[in-house]
Amino acid sequence: MKEKRTSRYLKDKDGYFSEEQIDRTKKRSREMEEASRTRLTSQKVRAKTLTYFDEIMKYDGARSQELSDFQGKGGKIIGTMCVMVPLELINASGAKNVRLCSGYYEPVHPANELLGDAGLCPMVKSTLGSKMVNANPITNNINMVVGPATCDGKMKLAEILEDWVPVVMMNIPRVKIGETSSDIWVKEIEYLSRKLEEVTGKRISKRALVNEIKKWNRGHELWSKMLDIRRSKRPTISGQDAMLVVQASQMDDIERWNKKTSQLISELQDMQKKGMIAGEDGAARILLAGSPMMYPNFKIPAIVEESGGTIVHDELCSGFRLMSDPVMLDGITRKGIMRGLAERYFFPCTCPCFSPNDERIRRIKESIEAFGIEGVVFHTLRGCHLSNIEATKIELELRDIGIPMVKLESEYDEGDIEQVRTRVEAFIEMIKARRENEGI
Amino acid sequence: MELMEMFKGRNIRPWRFLVQIGAVLFIIGQSYGLPPFGTYPIFRRIFLPNASCRYINDAPTSCYYYQVQDGFTTGFATNYVDVAIMLAVVVLLIILLGRFWCSWLCPFGLVQEGFEKLRELLGIPRYRLKWKQRILLRRVKYTIIFLTVLISIPIGISALGLTSCQSTFALPFCQVCPAKGFFLITQQIFGAEPWSNKLPLIAIASLVVFSVSAFFLPMAFCRICPMGGLMALFGRTSLPLLKKDPDKCTKCRICARVCPLDHDRVYEDMEKDDVGGEDCTLCGKCVEYCPEEGCLSINYGPFTLTSSKRPRTRNTFLGRFRKGGGDT
Ligand code: SF4
Ligand code: SF4
Ligand code: SF4
Ligand code: SF4
Repeated sequence: MKEKRTSRYLKDKDGYFSEEQIDRTKKRSREMEEASRTRLTSQKVRAKTLTYFDEIMKYDGARSQELSDFQGKGGKIIGTMCVMVPLELINASGAKNVRLCSGYYEPVHPANELLGDAGLCPMVKSTLGSKMVNANPITNNINMVVGPATCDGKMKLAEILEDWVPVVMMNIPRVKIGETSSDIWVKEIEYLSRKLEEVTGKRISKRALVNEIKKWNRGHELWSKMLDIRRSKRPTISGQDAMLVVQASQMDDIERWNKKTSQLISELQDMQKKGMIAGEDGAARILLAGSPMMYPNFKIPAIVEESGGTIVHDELCSGFRLMSDPVMLDGITRKGIMRGLAERYFFPCTCPCFSPNDERIRRIKESIEAFGIEGVVFHTLRGCHLSNIEATKIELELRDIGIPMVKLESEYDEGDIEQVRTRVEAFIEMIKARRENEGI
Repeated sequence: MELMEMFKGRNIRPWRFLVQIGAVLFIIGQSYGLPPFGTYPIFRRIFLPNASCRYINDAPTSCYYYQVQDGFTTGFATNYVDVAIMLAVVVLLIILLGRFWCSWLCPFGLVQEGFEKLRELLGIPRYRLKWKQRILLRRVKYTIIFLTVLISIPIGISALGLTSCQSTFALPFCQVCPAKGFFLITQQIFGAEPWSNKLPLIAIASLVVFSVSAFFLPMAFCRICPMGGLMALFGRTSLPLLKKDPDKCTKCRICARVCPLDHDRVYEDMEKDDVGGEDCTLCGKCVEYCPEEGCLSINYGPFTLTSSKRPRTRNTFLGRFRKGGGDT
């Protein structure tokens, strides 16, 4: 590795932010997470196993402790910045993965101070801010960051983060051309695997890789059972909780996550047998789409579900898509495994950074039919041009099949809650009115 | 470990394997005392559209390509009536069973899959053809058909004075067909044929080329096989069809990756639901591996024979044996 670089973005990192500011960021983050958790736990119908996932995602909870203990024993922690990073590879190298994308509001401010760009995506800024002031214990001690160059914000974020922690950037072919892109991406994955081996000092063996793939595939299997529950007429898990569960997979050890999720699923099935239902009876069935929403930024789903809707499905890279595709191995050669792994993380991905991205529209339409969706809530983070542009296209397509869509732009603060709530309530009213009209 | 478990939706491979073995037994069985189809002249004339090779000792059947070559050479006197009838029958057979002939019945396909399996077990990665090479090979198989006819007809016409070439040029494709070498040598090894070292050099050479290429490139011969070529021409009119429901496809490219023949239309095509064609041998591997419920299916006319399913961990035959049965 090269000599340690001096910080280009923060000349004098120590002392740039006052102790007071750092403490405030931490305190507010903790408060925000607590509030979000209270909102989740105060739902009327909620499976008991979900407390485990609450604990995993908790600010400065047991998981942060576990990770720092792991690191104390010489283990490595790899931060990922995107759903396109093959976690199997990280786990196979003996390292643990954490998802860096931050949903905390307060760390946006330090990043704003540094970059002075008010229009930039708040999730990017929050991730950066968290690292700058070490606001989130889970992301404090990462040994390396893996950042695929997806959208502009994430790409430059990875570049800036290099001042704090080694970063591996991956080149994503943003126009998918079958074989050509596949070859490029396989090489990127091989590069990543070398970097991981460098950091952990451990060779990624074929056996370990296959083992990890099996674990994650098991996760996929469980997740599709979860989708079955959500698809049913009476889902026993709310959309927020489902998102919490699947996001926990990015922080937890996959084996334990599998165990807990399968517990959760049997509990949810029992609840279904007892005739329970999450959310209101006759709630509007909503599909959540658009920019990612990382816990604890569950503002929008919470509002939707408090206003008489149930999010039965989503197409977010912070939700359904985290676990939606398995790695299908047809052979046992190392090269074949790598290709299978690489393609799993690339081809089915419907990130708006790809163009053309017709798959996304097709997938949304397909889930509308399969999940009996009555309306789509499309969320865009402020400054997310890619989602914004695609929203229009998707809205036009949905109009053709008679599904209403509402587009909500949100920032990382609580200021817009009331305005969003008004719009969501009106939207759900409209769906219910439509349902009555059609029913007669 | 990998031999014990697999992760797929459908499991078609074992059934196909059984049928393939059955077909081989049917074809060579006679040498080992199975019912003697061969004694009745009518059975000697059974031909299958693909490589149930003529050179398998006492085989009751032969590949249609043998009959085509033979028919074009000897048919001049009878105005090629025989060969025309035969081609009509072949086309009928192809329309009825399509490329099931290839993936379920062709013994030579089984041989190639054996090579592929061997490579897998040795952990050697497969070779992947570039797009351009695939297009080239596709043309090669039609060129072979054309050349065969071009050679076979004139050497049978005595007026052209070429009949004396018959000893060298008769059955032009059989002479270079690796199946001939493969089956002759195998039979000699297993004692079904008397040992001789009179195998033509060209047959040995093509066998070597074939073995090496089939080892690194799955189904290497199928890519230029003239029998497959004729079937490919009728690939989309025959009754068995590979179909895709584009609405359910996530474009994950698993199907194109696992396909032994690199038939990428199954991945690319999002308009038509019939995604078989030129290269596809209907082996069903893509259906086994496609992770989307009901996305890919193998159909016979209007009936769906099997369709893709959400994958799960399954024991292989070996794994079941080891662990004492039961799916996980
Ligand atoms: S050598 Fe080839 S072409 Fe000739 S009969 Fe055998 S399989 Fe058919
Ligand atoms: S294409 Fe392959 S499977 Fe089909 S007849 Fe030819 S050798 Fe046999
Ligand atoms: S494997 Fe199935 S879902 Fe994936 S690209 Fe092929 S047909 Fe589509
Ligand atoms: S497209 Fe599917 S059925 Fe056809 S050869 Fe390839 S894997 Fe087999």
